Amino acid sequence: MTTQSKPRAVAELQDFVRGNTLVHARGNGSKSALHPAAADIAIADLSLMRGIVEYQPAEFTLSARAGSPIAELKAALAAEGQYLPFDPLLPERATIGGTVAANLSGSRRYRYGGLRDFILGASVVDGGGRAYTVGGKVVKNAAGFDLSKFLVGSLGQYAIMTELTFKVFPDAPHFSSLRLRYQTLDAALAAIFFLNQSIFELDALDLLPAADGWSLLARLGGGADALPPRLERIRAALQSETAPQAAEEVADTARLWQPLRQLDAAFVAKVVLPPKRIPALERGISGCQRRYSCGGNIAWVATEDIAALDRALAALGLAGLCLQGDCEKPLLGKAPESILSARVKAALDPDGKLV
Amino acid sequence: MKNAHPLLQALEALYPPERLLTRDAQLLTYESDALTAFHSKPAAAVIPISEAEVIETVRLCHQLAVPFVARGSGTSLSGGSLPIADGLLVALNRLNRIKSIDPEQRIAVVEPGVVNLHITHAAAPYGLYYAPDPSSQSICTIGGNIAFNSGGAHCLKYGMTSNHVLGMKVVLADGAVTEFGSDSLDGCGVGPDLIGLFVGSEGLFGIALEITVRLLPQPERYRTLLAAYDDLGKAGDAVSRVVASGMLPGAIEIMDRLAIQAAEAAVQAGYPDAEALLIVELEGEAPQVEAEFAQLQAMMRASGAFELRSARDEAERARIWKGRKGAFSAVGRLSPDYIVQDGVVPRSRLGEALTRIKALKTKHQLEVANVFHAGDGNLHPLILYDGRQPGALEKAEALAGEILALCIKLGGSITGEHGVGMEKRDYMPAMFSEQELDIMQALRRAIDPKEIANRGKMFPSGEAPALQQRGMHPLERQGVISRE
Amino acid sequence: MRHSITSDDIRAPEMAKAIESCVHCGFCLAACPTYASLGEEMNSPRGRIVLMKNVLEARLPAAEAQEYIDRCLGCMACVPACPSGVAYGDLLVSYRAMQEKQRQRPPLDAIARRLIRETLPYPRRFRLAARAGKLGAALGAALPAPFAAMLNLLPGSLPPAMPLPPLLPAQGEKRGKVAILLGCVQQALAPNINYAAAQVLAANGIEVHIPPRQSCCGSILLHVGAEADARELARRNFQAMPADVDAIITTAAGCGSGIDDYALLFKGQPDSAEAADFSQKVLDFSAYLAAVGLRAPLGFSQERRVVYQDACHLLHAQGLQREPRTLLRQIPNLRLLPIADAGMCCGSAGTYNIDQPAIAAELGGRKAESILAAAPDAVVSGNIGCITQLRQQFTSRGEALPVLHIAELLQQAYSHSAASS
Ligand SMILES: Cc1cc2nc3c(=O)[nH]c(=O)nc-3n(C[C@H](O)[C@H](O)[C@H](O)COP(=O)(O)OP(=O)(O)OC[C@H]3O[C@@H](n4cnc5c(N)ncnc54)[C@H](O)[C@@H]3O)c2cc1C
Ligand code: SF4
Ligand code: SF4
Repeated sequence: MTTQSKPRAVAELQDFVRGNTLVHARGNGSKSALHPAAADIAIADLSLMRGIVEYQPAEFTLSARAGSPIAELKAALAAEGQYLPFDPLLPERATIGGTVAANLSGSRRYRYGGLRDFILGASVVDGGGRAYTVGGKVVKNAAGFDLSKFLVGSLGQYAIMTELTFKVFPDAPHFSSLRLRYQTLDAALAAIFFLNQSIFELDALDLLPAADGWSLLARLGGGADALPPRLERIRAALQSETAPQAAEEVADTARLWQPLRQLDAAFVAKVVLPPKRIPALERGISGCQRRYSCGGNIAWVATEDIAALDRALAALGLAGLCLQGDCEKPLLGKAPESILSARVKAALDPDGKLV
Repeated sequence: MKNAHPLLQALEALYPPERLLTRDAQLLTYESDALTAFHSKPAAAVIPISEAEVIETVRLCHQLAVPFVARGSGTSLSGGSLPIADGLLVALNRLNRIKSIDPEQRIAVVEPGVVNLHITHAAAPYGLYYAPDPSSQSICTIGGNIAFNSGGAHCLKYGMTSNHVLGMKVVLADGAVTEFGSDSLDGCGVGPDLIGLFVGSEGLFGIALEITVRLLPQPERYRTLLAAYDDLGKAGDAVSRVVASGMLPGAIEIMDRLAIQAAEAAVQAGYPDAEALLIVELEGEAPQVEAEFAQLQAMMRASGAFELRSARDEAERARIWKGRKGAFSAVGRLSPDYIVQDGVVPRSRLGEALTRIKALKTKHQLEVANVFHAGDGNLHPLILYDGRQPGALEKAEALAGEILALCIKLGGSITGEHGVGMEKRDYMPAMFSEQELDIMQALRRAIDPKEIANRGKMFPSGEAPALQQRGMHPLERQGVISRE
Repeated sequence: MRHSITSDDIRAPEMAKAIESCVHCGFCLAACPTYASLGEEMNSPRGRIVLMKNVLEARLPAAEAQEYIDRCLGCMACVPACPSGVAYGDLLVSYRAMQEKQRQRPPLDAIARRLIRETLPYPRRFRLAARAGKLGAALGAALPAPFAAMLNLLPGSLPPAMPLPPLLPAQGEKRGKVAILLGCVQQALAPNINYAAAQVLAANGIEVHIPPRQSCCGSILLHVGAEADARELARRNFQAMPADVDAIITTAAGCGSGIDDYALLFKGQPDSAEAADFSQKVLDFSAYLAAVGLRAPLGFSQERRVVYQDACHLLHAQGLQREPRTLLRQIPNLRLLPIADAGMCCGSAGTYNIDQPAIAAELGGRKAESILAAAPDAVVSGNIGCITQLRQQFTSRGEALPVLHIAELLQQAYSHSAASS
């Protein structure tokens, strides 16, 4: 029987960590691939450690307990016209702790940056059962080592987060989206490169295969008066510089910008790559459903054959993370750095408890 | 010289004599960074011109347990690049190649000794720039920026150094070489964010060898507004208004009377004669910026500014920023010595912090010039003193200490961007618990078991009580450093 | 920086003040050519200030610092770059003068002294001596680098002299009255420069006096520590120059910036006020002409693509950035081309061509490349040193790019327009 605990307080979590040899932290379990199911692993379920701890809109910072559902944070922020600019990926189901642990930023990451760019500090319980805070609560802080950023993508293997503090931004009041069609991938990439060097400030830019060719989705956010002329300028520039087959405004819905929405297969994975590697990846994963997010810097891939994806990524020297599906090892392709990480592990979790 | 001898012998095999500095006249010029209150002479300095030389040098230091300090341009304001007496100084200025620029993917790969502004120069033909802009950007290096996670006036929107590094190759303090991050905008993407850990580690983990940075497109339009106030508090309140308005300016800066005077003397920026000057700059797409600028002007008018001025052209804008960026050094015109502080307070408590600093300066009877990144609550009080007067430095340090204590009390930090270095290490216990410091120490030792990388920096020196630095600095007592 | 300078040198207060106002921020490093090329602190302005400070505090033997101070080009690029207003020029000039006196080199011997007394003051004798190769041989060993370097610019054979009358009347309506200070080396090496300058001034309605009794400006001797001799030469010019001119014009950037040092040279002298008046009056050719404005007709019949090469002694030491460009922009059909790193020294400043051939060549090479990248038809400068340096660079690259003094280009512009009208 797997040991499981749903601590409500940090002290409870500390006891739980101290009392077990192997511990795995879980939020709402929305990323099924990330939760090992071995009997000897004790599960710390953080879903009860939830709620906003501190939110001062004038300060543009928000602290919340790690098990807080993203939806709750988003709602509180939206009430003040603010948002999490990294655009957490699974807003309906995930907790903020799980989102940080897996490093899952959504399409709007394109505008201002990802999770790592907005995390300011964290409270943790480490592998030794010690509770402490890392980072700070003000938007700028250069004192001490910044372990809070290190937690982004750490998969709970170094310390379990109990509370997180983020920098937040005022959200744009209005949005417009544009869909462009290109016959070839090269043409679509050329459009991305054109936009990369242009003056246009896009809120998001995603690339996805379409019926005959590729769709490029571009999103603009801003003031109501400036938005229509901005949209017109960008459409005109794209039309003259990148010759799309079509360039139409589309309804700007939340669904449009939910990159996983149409990916439906046994496994769903994140792949990190620069846009120029997309053609190579395309050759390596033909047949998979996919969407390239964030100006082509993150790929979301759905596949029935996770082992094949793993091999393809390894051959390409790309790193990936399986989020959903019943897979043995969520880390795909090129292994993440190990030298420096191992030393952090030795300091934070010397007994190798956290898995 | 305890260990230096065998190291020097080994270095002689590695470096030609002109890049292995051991003579007094050579080493004297490396004794201090921009915090001249501290100086100390290393046993030697080396000037590597290849990654391999740096790696081999670090390995030798590790083998022989000789402490080393990496140095960029020595503009650290916290004693970060202060050499360790009898240790080795590794001057990275000749590792200054921009290895590649990929404008389509907006990235550049650079060596650590590349000067911050040179990246922007190299990217300019493509309409791109490197965003973090410390005031020292014309000379400080990317390696130094990484060590301190340096920021600048224009970091409100797009963040500090850490937010612009996508990948790195480093040699850790024990000689192990490792790489992390990628060419993707998502950087580390999968696995822990090691970039975030290394950036800001003040040279205690090792030496950055190669850095991939992201570039941004130059904004289409800048709109720069100068608002003059007859009271510093009013300027602080105006910042809150801007922030609360939902606008996201590229920069929000404040200078007080003394700083204005100094900057004006240095560059004739044409600043109005005022108690406080607020600089707000909007950047972005023209239609959006113009719409916001109208709103901003109305807001500033309502904030009690007695004069508003907007830059009419790029030359005027450049002058405004030149004055702001030269303000620290320009204070050298007002006073033979000064201490630059770098505290952070929550943005909503800016006004309160300024009022208290005013009271403190009256209490200590010292002049303080204020220049700061108001948009993110990062204060830079410059405490003026005349080091030739006995006791003046101690008085200035006491005031500096009280200001830092104030920042902590208001829920902020003892440093926003200049780092702890040598100067603020004894304030660390006031900011972090013993356990937190222990963890950081453990981490440091896991990476650098012999504690040779930048030894003596960042961590408090056991015996010194926090916020109560009196008399000799503990390292002075040990004869590691000395000041005049 | 705090210091404990105990030196009793007459200019110790100026030196101390410069050191005091330096806050060690490093902003000046970005502008310094020797730092750009060597990347070491000792060869940067900040490092040199530290070195001079330590010598003045008697903590470091002067001999140990010498190499790095010698390597300073004296280009003064660090001065406008410094937000703290450090008067690096005052420090360097005073320090060098002080060191020269203490230096272990054979003191200026009797022959050299006689040459200085009897040759430098008289352009004709100077020319004769230069032509006979006497100067270098007689003075070479005795002289410190900066002076020897200047003399070494003199080639074995000199172009024929272009004697100027004592007075060139203004053409057309008279707009001003000036005297020309001919200088020593340049006048021997390229007499056509002052000749062209005089013609252009006259063509612009300026009455030009060329007092025959004038001498070398002497400022170089301050750097050599021969201050009394320097003052003697300067005083000759105080006598020789008419008092009622609007300006005393120089076409040699080095003379212009050297005369700015008269304040240091005449410190504590009874005639220091006279020296100050004199140096107030001395203006670079381009500064004066830009102020009075060019007169038509001038210009080229076809487009001329021109790069203006900033001489350090004009740009940094005298702050003349706009003036020469204003003049060039007034010439019809002349297109002024920008180049990269325009403010960086071409390697000719000070002692560079001789003392530090490697650095001089590197800087010269960089400058030549950035000029060639702009694909000009001609390069224009206001300084004989730059002109010589660039000519050498272009010749060694097989480029036949003409390098002219700005006065020469203006003269061409006038004669072209005369020919075409
Ligand atoms: C006038 C003035 C204005 C300034 N304004 C700002 C400002 O606006 N914002 C700001 O953030 N800072 C500012 N600074 C501080 C300073 O410029 C920055 O901290 C800068 O990043 C230091 O860069 P450097 O190259 O001079 O580094 P150095 O001073 O040489 O070194 C700084 C630290 O970096 C370490 N280091 C250097 N290279 C490497 C490497 N390759 N790998 C690992 N560690 C390395 C050193 O060991 C040292 O600890 C200012 C300084 C001055 C003098
Ligand atoms: S810029 Fe000025 S103050 Fe700064 S180091 Fe150079 S000389 Fe000193
Ligand atoms: S005068 Fe020129 S060479 Fe000398 S320190 Fe200044 S900038 Fe460098």
